Amino acid sequence: MSHDALSRSLTARGVQQAKWPAIWLVLLMACVWGFPYADGLLRIIEPDSSQVVYQRASLATLLVQHMLVVSAAAVITVVGGVLAAIVVTREWGRNFLPLVSQVASLGQTFPPVAVLALAVPALGFGTLPIIVALVLYGTLPIVRNTLGGLQDVDKEVKSASVAMGMTSWQTLRQVELPLAAPVILAGIRTSITINISTAAIGATVGASNLGDPIIAGIVNGNMAYIVQGALTIALLALTVDSLFERLQERLRSRLYTA
Amino acid sequence: MIELAHVTKRFDDAVAVDDISLHIAKGKFCALVGTSGCGKSTTLRMINRLIEHSEGDILLDGQPIAAYDPVKLRRRIGYVIQHTGLFPHWTVARNIGLVPRLLKWSAAEVQAKVDELMGLLGLPKDEFAHKYPHQLSGGQAQRVGVARALAADPDILLMDEPFGALDPITREKLQDELARLQAKMHKTVVFVTHDMDEALRLADHLVVMREGRIVQQGTPLALLQHPQDSFVESLLGGLERGLKQAALTRVKDHMAPMGPTLPAQSRIPATFSLRQGLSMMLRDHTDRLTVVDQHDVPVGELTLRKIVKEAQPEQGKARES
Repeated sequence: MSHDALSRSLTARGVQQAKWPAIWLVLLMACVWGFPYADGLLRIIEPDSSQVVYQRASLATLLVQHMLVVSAAAVITVVGGVLAAIVVTREWGRNFLPLVSQVASLGQTFPPVAVLALAVPALGFGTLPIIVALVLYGTLPIVRNTLGGLQDVDKEVKSASVAMGMTSWQTLRQVELPLAAPVILAGIRTSITINISTAAIGATVGASNLGDPIIAGIVNGNMAYIVQGALTIALLALTVDSLFERLQERLRSRLYTA
Repeated sequence: MIELAHVTKRFDDAVAVDDISLHIAKGKFCALVGTSGCGKSTTLRMINRLIEHSEGDILLDGQPIAAYDPVKLRRRIGYVIQHTGLFPHWTVARNIGLVPRLLKWSAAEVQAKVDELMGLLGLPKDEFAHKYPHQLSGGQAQRVGVARALAADPDILLMDEPFGALDPITREKLQDELARLQAKMHKTVVFVTHDMDEALRLADHLVVMREGRIVQQGTPLALLQHPQDSFVESLLGGLERGLKQAALTRVKDHMAPMGPTLPAQSRIPATFSLRQGLSMMLRDHTDRLTVVDQHDVPVGELTLRKIVKEAQPEQGKARES
């Protein structure tokens, strides 16, 4: 294949892969900016209510707040989860392996709603309790995948890296992490995607985000409100998820061409 | 030079290596043989401190290895293992250049060394430099493994069953190449194997281990001729010992001058082994072979009588190469 043809076909494939995040993003934007003008459409779902367009806050503001909450939780879970998993797979941290994997599992067995109920008396209403709930809920996939990814690195490869005279830091940095990266990234993807939908319950304790229209809809029996919140959250989750898929593909191809 | 003096290794209560003493002179090829679990791999891994020994002394050039920083020690000892342990996310060239880069060689020096080694090990640069380990055959991957071990020009090479996972033909080819490289580079090699033919073929010094102890050590020929007990004898091939010994002896050392009779039909190069000569006799139903030099010119003859009568050559002669 000539160089031109090769680069052309690569570009074509690139467009193919880039397509989904763009499609979801366009639909997401259409929802956020379009719902206020979709009075007629929403009335089909909810003919009885006097008001069908959610107006207490703009969807755009709620979207940004939603993303901020999820991002804050993501930073904590990714940094904490990956670090914890690295520590307990080192020689000197091995004793803490059972503890860390149990704490991570425990975090996910607690329903986020229960965490909220327990956190509110301690932390008050607002954004903080929901971040705590998301961190607890989102840690497990990251810890589990990082542990799995690091433990799955071929023992012969690790032992060879030591035998060749790499320091333990060099082994971690140049061998273990690159080889575990696709699995770690898959864990981060799961964690964040789940938390985008879980964050909605924060609206019950006064964290203002895309859960607001849903809760308001449930309270007032207004199906149109629910649809506006739910659809926007779903499209946000799909956008982020498809972005991660792209990232994973790039990582996979980089791993064997770097 | 490597020296082990009364070295013992215990894992909890189990004794893996029991009071062994071993002296490997500079430039010598030492093979550790024995059945599985006899402590030969453990012995090897104690030399580059992948395993720390419990008692005794291991000296490298007269210095106890405990005095070296383990990381620096390993960078000056080449290490080859059965399943190569190549980094799957690195190209062949990057894998080979690993230790020189750890030693902070300049990019140009690393590149030059990688090119040189790829040439030396029969890996054409254009074809292999940018391949990944999963794109290589077993034999090619192990060539890369050997090249990686040699990259920083170590004096010592530790090899742990390096050809154990290869098919017989590839294995033999790599053994030949290793012998060729060793004749050129004179590394101090410690080689672990359970393939006795491989050990006999490559080693200057053979060490037979059993249950963590050294049962017998010496030149391959000495062990073949005087195995200390029935274990060494059976490990060396029992009844086939005669043939193994013949495999270590070259036709050149046993041929007679051309006789007055007509030269025999079957021809054998002078550099072949007596074993190959015997096999050729069996195949061609003859008791006489014409020995030829590299230009296919007859230089002598080999008779069955002579092989059988003189089965004990002078040791020095047989091991020259």
